[in-house]
Amino acid sequence: MVVDAPPVSAPTRQARHPLRQLLADRWAVAGGVTILVFLLVAVAAPLLSALEGHDPYTYDTNALTGDGVPIGFGGGISTEHWFGVEPQTGRDLFAIVVYGARTSFLVGFAATALSILIGVVVGVTAGYFGGWYDRIVSRFIDVLFGFPWLVFVIAIGAIAPAWLPKQLLIILVIGLFGWPGIARVIRGQTLALKQRTFVVAATALGAGPGHLLRRQYLPNLVSTIIVYSTMTIPGMIGAEAALSFLGVGVPPPTPAWGRTIGEAIAWVQTDPMFLIFPGAALFLVTLAFNLFGDGLRDALDPRTRGTRR
Amino acid sequence: MKRLTAVALAGLLALAGCGANDPKKEEGGEAKGGKLTILSASTDINFDPAKSQNLAITTLGLVLRRLTTWDVQPGKPAVVVPDLATDTGKIGADGKSWTYTLKDGLTYADGSAITTADIKYGIERSFAPELSGGLGYHKSLLTGGDKYKGPYTGGELASIETPDAKTIVFHLTTAYGDWPWIVSMPAFSPVPKAKDDPKKYNQNPVASGPYQVSSYQQGSLVKLTRNPKWDAKTDQVRTAGPDEIDFQLGQETTVAAQRLIADTGDDRNAFGAGFVPPAQLVQIQANPTAKERLVTSEPGALTYLALNTQRGPLKDVKVRQAIEYAVDKKAFQIASGGTTGGDPASTLITPGIAGRVDYNLYPADPAGDVAKAKQLLTEAGQTRLKLVLLSENDQVNLAKAQAIQQGLQRAGITVTIKPVTTDAWIEVATGEKPDFDLTVSGWQPDFPSANGNIQPLFDSTQIGGGGYNLARYSQPEVDTLIAQATAEGDPAKAQALWAQADKRILQDAPVVPLLYAKNSFLHGSNVRNFSVAAFPGYPNYLKVSLKN
Amino acid sequence: MRTLRYLATRLLGMVGTLLVISVLTYAVFYLLPSDPARLSCGRPCTPDRLAEASAFMGYSKPWLQQYLDFLVGIVAGRHFGSGLAAVDCAAPCFGYSFRLNESVTQLIVDRAPVTFSIAIGAAALWLIVGVGAGVVAAVKRGTVIDRSAMVFSTIGVSAPSYLVGLLGILLFGFTLDVVPVGGYVPLTESPVDWLWHLVLPWTVLALLSAAVYARLTRGQMLEVLSEDYIRTARAKGLRERRVIGRHALRNVLIPVATVFGLDLGTLLGGAVISEKVFSMQGLGALLIDAVGNVDLPLIVGVTLFSAFLVIFANFLVDLVYSVLDPRMSLSDAAASSGRN
Repeated sequence: MVVDAPPVSAPTRQARHPLRQLLADRWAVAGGVTILVFLLVAVAAPLLSALEGHDPYTYDTNALTGDGVPIGFGGGISTEHWFGVEPQTGRDLFAIVVYGARTSFLVGFAATALSILIGVVVGVTAGYFGGWYDRIVSRFIDVLFGFPWLVFVIAIGAIAPAWLPKQLLIILVIGLFGWPGIARVIRGQTLALKQRTFVVAATALGAGPGHLLRRQYLPNLVSTIIVYSTMTIPGMIGAEAALSFLGVGVPPPTPAWGRTIGEAIAWVQTDPMFLIFPGAALFLVTLAFNLFGDGLRDALDPRTRGTRR
Repeated sequence: MKRLTAVALAGLLALAGCGANDPKKEEGGEAKGGKLTILSASTDINFDPAKSQNLAITTLGLVLRRLTTWDVQPGKPAVVVPDLATDTGKIGADGKSWTYTLKDGLTYADGSAITTADIKYGIERSFAPELSGGLGYHKSLLTGGDKYKGPYTGGELASIETPDAKTIVFHLTTAYGDWPWIVSMPAFSPVPKAKDDPKKYNQNPVASGPYQVSSYQQGSLVKLTRNPKWDAKTDQVRTAGPDEIDFQLGQETTVAAQRLIADTGDDRNAFGAGFVPPAQLVQIQANPTAKERLVTSEPGALTYLALNTQRGPLKDVKVRQAIEYAVDKKAFQIASGGTTGGDPASTLITPGIAGRVDYNLYPADPAGDVAKAKQLLTEAGQTRLKLVLLSENDQVNLAKAQAIQQGLQRAGITVTIKPVTTDAWIEVATGEKPDFDLTVSGWQPDFPSANGNIQPLFDSTQIGGGGYNLARYSQPEVDTLIAQATAEGDPAKAQALWAQADKRILQDAPVVPLLYAKNSFLHGSNVRNFSVAAFPGYPNYLKVSLKN
Repeated sequence: MRTLRYLATRLLGMVGTLLVISVLTYAVFYLLPSDPARLSCGRPCTPDRLAEASAFMGYSKPWLQQYLDFLVGIVAGRHFGSGLAAVDCAAPCFGYSFRLNESVTQLIVDRAPVTFSIAIGAAALWLIVGVGAGVVAAVKRGTVIDRSAMVFSTIGVSAPSYLVGLLGILLFGFTLDVVPVGGYVPLTESPVDWLWHLVLPWTVLALLSAAVYARLTRGQMLEVLSEDYIRTARAKGLRERRVIGRHALRNVLIPVATVFGLDLGTLLGGAVISEKVFSMQGLGALLIDAVGNVDLPLIVGVTLFSAFLVIFANFLVDLVYSVLDPRMSLSDAAASSGRN
């Protein structure tokens, strides 16, 4: 986030420990708690749906009218079906939402991890080594930015061999299209760090590239990486949802919030809860990550460290 | 014969037969005037008759007339009637030639006369590789059609004779009783050679029907206005009510349905070219004024589950029969829109086709007979089957695929759904490398004869290479039956043979008949004479008019 | 001279990037299990007819040959078939869509105004609203205004665009009936209708992006406001307005410009989801349509055009960067424009 002004090394206020500051930020805490709750839900999905007594795959046509509309208030909310049922199939919506959390988190975290890993490696090396390697990397980044990834994903879905699980494919594609963002940021920061006195000093003292990268650059990049990761996760989750909405995401019947939302929009006049439950879930998770990420950034950024929001 | 998909259907842009069940429809209503709007999800209309696969009673039928056409009325089966010709054709002595005479006084929009030379040219240009893509049944029926490459590289097709400007004679390779239906197809529209510009004809064809294309905005709006030279006295199926017809293209399906439900402003003079999606069907049922404007056809085209009989465990007829019992047709019906979506099916020949015999070789509850299925699977020694279901990746098709999947799951069969785009589906399902075990497909014949229900789907010549024998079914006994029935001149005998073939095929269980589809369409409150028959399951554009 | 050489290098880089993208696109769509000629085969489709259609469109040649034909066509134009039905595609020919009977260039020219109308209108709106909100929030840090602006922004960032779009149509187009819902009306046909039909797409897109820019601007503004030179300016007695407007804003706009350029470039290439949701036939809808029909020339053509817009936007951003920040030369600007 920095242009190339040097970080404030002598803040005028008492610097607080980042964790303390984070915990003092109510919004960030709320965000963090929400994330934990959803994470727990995702991990415990089979347990939770077993508690309720349904899985997200079994049809229950008896809960529907002949036209496929859920019987009962709020799309069939009852002690049997806590969130009601899905129109046209009678599948339990609570189970779909909790299992959908798994898909979202799995894809979100894995794709982010992939992006960050590649992005940091490429960004740091490009910034550090420079020269023609840097130029090629920049051009490559341009290619990736310019490519309409949506079109690509649709095509890839058709080509991919049958033995490759679709979820893995989506993680790979979203991850591989996501790394240029972080790579550019890291590269910029690396370039800035290159001119910092402590780096110059270390180089003058004879430190080799390995040592420099590991000991000087990376520690200073860590906070950026952490913050960027936290901010990327909701984007990845959103991308997976968008793919599911367009019908090229995780294939049915594996529960996926994006796909359910896409189907639910058409039903909004007859069964609004079908949209509200998964829609609210997706929205809350994204919001939580954003709030938490904001708080984390404020806590870790030395400039705003110690300042009360 | 047509495979039904949401895409193909929208692209068909209406062919409608009769069979509306709307008691409030005005009778007679020959009101003239107004601007009709048609909302379509498709992004392009191709008016070039050589490239078109339109039904005779939808879009293209408004602009281009053919030798014969269809008379589709509510409650009656569809009949082929003369259009430009005086009758539906006279068979020659050898049984393989057909002669047609044009009516008097027929002219194009610019006043020049329609001659048989134009019809011959129109048919010839459909053979050109540059204009491939349309209905091509005639290409293998006309003598010399296999080798003919179209008029642009020189040469004409000798098997079409035009002794004078009003007579035309076709020489076929074989006796073909359904030829009158063939000459109702787009390729048999007259195209004056002098006005033929193959690169632009799709946007502005020379009109022989009651309307002509007045403006064409690629991808968004196509406008038709009256053809002043069209003579209503020579045309028994078209009423040409509206003064102008606008096609709004690229409309998002749900939004278009909502517009028609809301029925405000100009949308009162509009109707939707595509089916009403299941979610909106439900919404309409709950809305009394919208419900009156919903028109649902009689059950017609067959939706079925094709089993790849040449692959793995599906080679065993017992396994296939087990699947016949395991399928949950009730869930499939709900996924297709509930009772408004269709009726459960058990035969291959569909309701509304003459000579159809109703039977059920695998009687079970609509939700299936899981116990029987499991028993058959155990007998076949296949208790842990794993199958791949190929499906198109739009919402409606995926919902149907899931309905099948969960049904089979109950019998212990694990089904993995493989969603692909439409063109990939066509390639895999009809191409040379059928990499699937199961797939759901719909089939509507291009003309209402039992021939259209059986031959393209079960004749062994239709395997691969673009043919629709998706089940890869090859049974010499059945091939013989089909050949016999096709050649049979006596309609009653032919129908009996087709019914026999129907049952014989299902004994081998290469497909599971799922539903006879009912298609629902919604129109605005000012639209009159809007009806949909069992065949072809689309509104009859030719008779639609507006209230004055 | 150095600038000239730099410009030349960048231009070469752009062309190179576009070439790579075009090869990748060709390769990917060639690996698809569907035959592009299949949809032009007709019914019934026999292998002979398929082969004929394939040969005419040039699809029966090996894909490398097709790619080279494509490249040559850009410079020299292309010719398909022979006789009356032959198709001539004048240079620069980016391909010919047989399905739509139109050259790719013509199709792009026809559809571009739709996409540009959506993109530019939305972009202007979100820039003004977003940056404005961000500046105000930063200046009034800690107050209710700041809090609420940030809350709305975070909510805006978290909502999926397709959902908001469709709900917007349902609410404003149907329930409240304040905006029309039927697609795009060309500016030349009726300026009022053009505007009216675009209000909803603009609002939806702008609101969601404004949120991003508000947060970004606020963040940057806060950092800049704690800089020494701002303190100096204030100490000198300059009015707050001048401090913010003249000194702070300039530095804030640099990273904002970076992101904006890229966003606008991407949007100009066709926002697929938005166009689909609002029934507008722009470049995004054209592309998705082409993919669904395996209309290879169209896919390649539109992809390249979109890619070009993005890369060009990148380039412009570097230029703007060097103008806004006098410390930087053009090549430095390019180097550091990678920063957020």
